[in-house]
Amino acid sequence: MTRRGIVTGGMIVTGLALMVLAYFAGAAPWCNTAVECSNPRLEWSPAIFVVGVIVAFSSALYYSMSKSDKK
Amino acid sequence: MTVAHSRVNEPLPQGVGRLSRRWFLVVGLATAGTAIGVVGWLVEHEQGMVATGMRDVGTMGGATWGLYISMVVYFVGVSFAGITVAALIRLFNLEHLKGVARMAELLTVVALLLGALAIVIDLGQPLRGLVNLFRYARPQSPFFGTFSLVVSGYLFSSLVYLYLTSRPDAARLAAKPSKLRPLYRVWAAGYEDTPDQRARDRRVTFWLALAILPLLIVAHSSLGFVFGLQVGRPGWFGTLQAPAFVVLAGVSGIGHLIVLAALVRRVLHEEHRIGMEAFTWLGRFLMLLLFVYLYFVVVEIFTAIYQPTVNEQRIGDALLTGEYAPVFWGSVAALALPAVGLAWMAVTRRWRIGWMVAFGALVNLGAIGKRFLIVAPSQTHGQLLPYPVGTYTPSLVEYAVVLGLFSLGALLIAGFMKLFPIVEMEEATP
Repeated sequence: MTRRGIVTGGMIVTGLALMVLAYFAGAAPWCNTAVECSNPRLEWSPAIFVVGVIVAFSSALYYSMSKSDKK
Repeated sequence: MTVAHSRVNEPLPQGVGRLSRRWFLVVGLATAGTAIGVVGWLVEHEQGMVATGMRDVGTMGGATWGLYISMVVYFVGVSFAGITVAALIRLFNLEHLKGVARMAELLTVVALLLGALAIVIDLGQPLRGLVNLFRYARPQSPFFGTFSLVVSGYLFSSLVYLYLTSRPDAARLAAKPSKLRPLYRVWAAGYEDTPDQRARDRRVTFWLALAILPLLIVAHSSLGFVFGLQVGRPGWFGTLQAPAFVVLAGVSGIGHLIVLAALVRRVLHEEHRIGMEAFTWLGRFLMLLLFVYLYFVVVEIFTAIYQPTVNEQRIGDALLTGEYAPVFWGSVAALALPAVGLAWMAVTRRWRIGWMVAFGALVNLGAIGKRFLIVAPSQTHGQLLPYPVGTYTPSLVEYAVVLGLFSLGALLIAGFMKLFPIVEMEEATP
């Protein structure tokens, strides 16, 4: 696998991981009765979700714009 | 003089960089409209939301969501068709539609920006709202989908898509001497037209298109869920809201695209790039979506009036024979007439661009009317608590702001057309 492929894949995985982290930090899917479960457990978790989206889609920019590995 | 040298001295294509009297007139009108919108928003900011026609639901007999939210839903809807068409073109390599691909992508970006602005304008305190949204937004709310998927994911991915597909043209333009050359050099960002780069671009646009299509279905559905999941609001609660949102989004977007494509074809004399085949395809797509949506309307109304609760009866009466009847029947007519007209053209196989443009404009008026009817009547007539029936009439400030939004959209598109070709350039023959 080329370095370009590894970095692109890494960006997609990182972006998705941030989205999942932000979702579970913001929502409380297994705890939906108590009031405290209703509030985000991590402040700015929505912002982290958005950053995740941006990182994942930025991978397309990197893949297209990075210089070729071949000499 | 060599062939290469004569190419270099050609002016930029599609009137890029050349400002005509007609362009100044369009930009002047759009700037004036935008200024009116800014003044309207400043008045609202100064006086508060009392400057609008919106009032509290129930206690003040009004609606807290009005024209602005209707326009949010409408603009996000317009964005749908742009990126859908663009993605379908790349996925299925629809050659005859390539002439409209970039304007479809641009339409998506502009419409999403206007939709996001409409949300900001609807907030009494925009800054507080924006900060708190990034800080405390709850994923349990359908609004979270609208905010995270529509405004951030959808807008960002559309921007990435528009940028990547425009890089080859930027590189071609950077090879020509012009005042805009530095801009094109930055835009092209080192693009080299090699087989490897082309293959990579094809791969990346294919996967982007594949990622964007489900994203936009989810995004539009989440906007429908904002209304459809509210069990305590008769008129909104229903399973058809999400699919109807997606379909009407397609209707308004394709309508816009037809109008824009016809305008560009005429003004830039791009008849060979935006051929009749493109309009025929768009016309058939629009017709199909219109019939599906009209079916949804019939099912929705029939379900609402067959055995309604008291509250649903009140909304049904207001829509069909009451306060909102002119808007309702006007919108239905604005959607049904183009459906019949397009079906006639499809059957006789005699497509007329002029009629299609008229239908494209008409379905957009119908779509705005339907969006308004989704937002307002359930608030004024659908409350479960024993409050009297309310009313909502948009104020001049709201109309001014909406005029400003449309004008800003026109300004952005007119500006783009003078900076960059709105129709993809043909690949140079070796």
